[in-house]
Amino acid sequence: MTAVTMDVAAAPPRKRMSEEKFWAIVLIAPYVVVFALFVVYPVLYGFWLGSSANSFKKLFQDPIFVTTLWNTAIFVLVAVNLKMLVALGLSAFFILEYRWVRWLSVIFIIAWAMPSIPTILSVRWMFNPEWGLVNNLLFKWFQIEGPGWLTERHYGLTLAILMHIWKSLPFWTLILVAARLAIPRDLYESADVDGATRWQRFRFITWPAMRAPYMTSVLLSSIWTLGDFNSVYLLTGGGPNDSTQVLATLGVRYLRIDQIDVGMAAVICALPAILPMVFFLMKRLSRVDEQ
Amino acid sequence: MASVELHDVRKVYGGSITAIHGVDVEIPDGEFVVLVGPSGCGKSTLLRMIAGLEDITGGEVRIGAKRVNELPAKDRDIAMVFQSYALYPHMTVRENMGFSLRLRKAPKDEIDRGVANAAQILGLTPYLDRLPRHLSGGQRQRVAMGRAIVRNPQVFLFDEPLSNLDAKLRVQMRTELKALHQRLKTTSIYVTHDQVEAMTLADRIVVLHDGKVEQIGAPLDLYDRPANQFVAGFIGSPAMNFLGGTVRRSNGAAAVAMVDGTRLPLPAGAKGGDGQQVVYGVRPEHLALGDSGMGFPLVVSVVEPTGADTLVFGTVGGSEVCAVFDERHAFKPGETVHLAPKGDRVHVFNADDGAAL
Repeated sequence: MTAVTMDVAAAPPRKRMSEEKFWAIVLIAPYVVVFALFVVYPVLYGFWLGSSANSFKKLFQDPIFVTTLWNTAIFVLVAVNLKMLVALGLSAFFILEYRWVRWLSVIFIIAWAMPSIPTILSVRWMFNPEWGLVNNLLFKWFQIEGPGWLTERHYGLTLAILMHIWKSLPFWTLILVAARLAIPRDLYESADVDGATRWQRFRFITWPAMRAPYMTSVLLSSIWTLGDFNSVYLLTGGGPNDSTQVLATLGVRYLRIDQIDVGMAAVICALPAILPMVFFLMKRLSRVDEQ
Repeated sequence: MASVELHDVRKVYGGSITAIHGVDVEIPDGEFVVLVGPSGCGKSTLLRMIAGLEDITGGEVRIGAKRVNELPAKDRDIAMVFQSYALYPHMTVRENMGFSLRLRKAPKDEIDRGVANAAQILGLTPYLDRLPRHLSGGQRQRVAMGRAIVRNPQVFLFDEPLSNLDAKLRVQMRTELKALHQRLKTTSIYVTHDQVEAMTLADRIVVLHDGKVEQIGAPLDLYDRPANQFVAGFIGSPAMNFLGGTVRRSNGAAAVAMVDGTRLPLPAGAKGGDGQQVVYGVRPEHLALGDSGMGFPLVVSVVEPTGADTLVFGTVGGSEVCAVFDERHAFKPGETVHLAPKGDRVHVFNADDGAAL
């Protein structure tokens, strides 16, 4: 025993990996490889492709780029805020304890659960200016010549925003329903006894409790909305004349072998908006953890 | 301050489930009344009906001279302390306490004065700028009471306000509550399932069971003269012992004979005709050690010394019986001791409906 101890003491201290650490590395290694290969490499490659001043020059010279920036700003601001406000209101309805409300909520969720592509394509068909259902009915019932829903910029962008809201509203309503259900009922009863009106109940109990989840939802939804390709591309295809392009669709528009760098540059243009949002989101989430 | 009257108050859920079956209670101005009963007896429902948080299916609730059935909670001039305290988590103690006055658009100096006064009564002055989550359970409980005091309501309603506190704090807050009522003298209705709380706090107790009033009375009246077996078993701790048997009268002496032949002596004047099936009730603290010539034999199973007194559990004629002695005893399990009720402190109940004879 003594000899062994002496041996160890005499030898220079050699750092040996503990078994726990060894297995940690073994188990995490496959993920690191996949992450490096399919996330880090493509992202860096994209940056490299789109990072030359020349690609940005080409991008800014394209007249549709400025329109696209405007469209993106309008799309994100209107879609996110309108959607979240409506979701906030609807969440108050869907917590009502009636059986028919439960059933209605199931039907409501379907819009979100349906696959995007067939849904959006069927809406596109309905709004076809010439033979679409909507214009046909407008003419049949009111003898009105319906507008070119998908062939005029404002109608097209508005429809794309509505499409996006229709598709993602159930999800955010569900999130806010969960936030509402977490508010103890006692608080409302106490407020009733204290003499609060409906508005005061919302202002002093509901909103303070929902502010944090609401703001987190707004941030997350902004990031997702910025990346919403389907609602615009499948409905208007960015047209007419590229007047309804958003950054998410513009990148794809350039996806030709000779313009791939410009496409990447367009995607990079969204980063100044996305990165701060991701930053604030992570900060918010870590603060929730601390609490 | 005001009186509260309940006349034939009923609550039916979904047209078929009756939670409250016609309750009549009159609570004079300034009285502290405790609604007590086991879980599901309807006591909280009744309180919430008085508060206006639950619809009244039938009957009438009056606060002061006014019928309030149709009035919303906010117009009933009541303050309620909830079991969970229901403090607004985003408001400081000061804001929580002044909230009702703020909603009533009271002037700021009036709110400040009210809050400062209540905080001083409850020892909350150093905590006024803290959020509820930075307070201990006892402090939160005080804030909930402070919120009620600030309103200066006609009636205080308490829904099991002490049940979330640990045992020691509960006793302390109980005393504070009683002192507070003696100081403010506001009519108070207090719901609890804890009969000790009921006994110590109440001017009068309303014992509820399955949505019906079993008995209304002063705490010691209920203890000394329970109207039925339910009240007798519910009030008092440890609970009253119940032993079934048949009344036997001969030569002026009376006893209850159990199935195995054990005879339980009845005091002179005890009711119950010869041959009547009854339940013999005696409180653990009303049993004394006797000699073999009197009383009845108890086969000891467990002895629990608490320091202040000794609890002895065992069986009499096959039924579980508990006895409490002031003195210390070291009986062994299996040992037989003789017990006799002290004086005439025996209760006899009709075996059919449990009514006191």
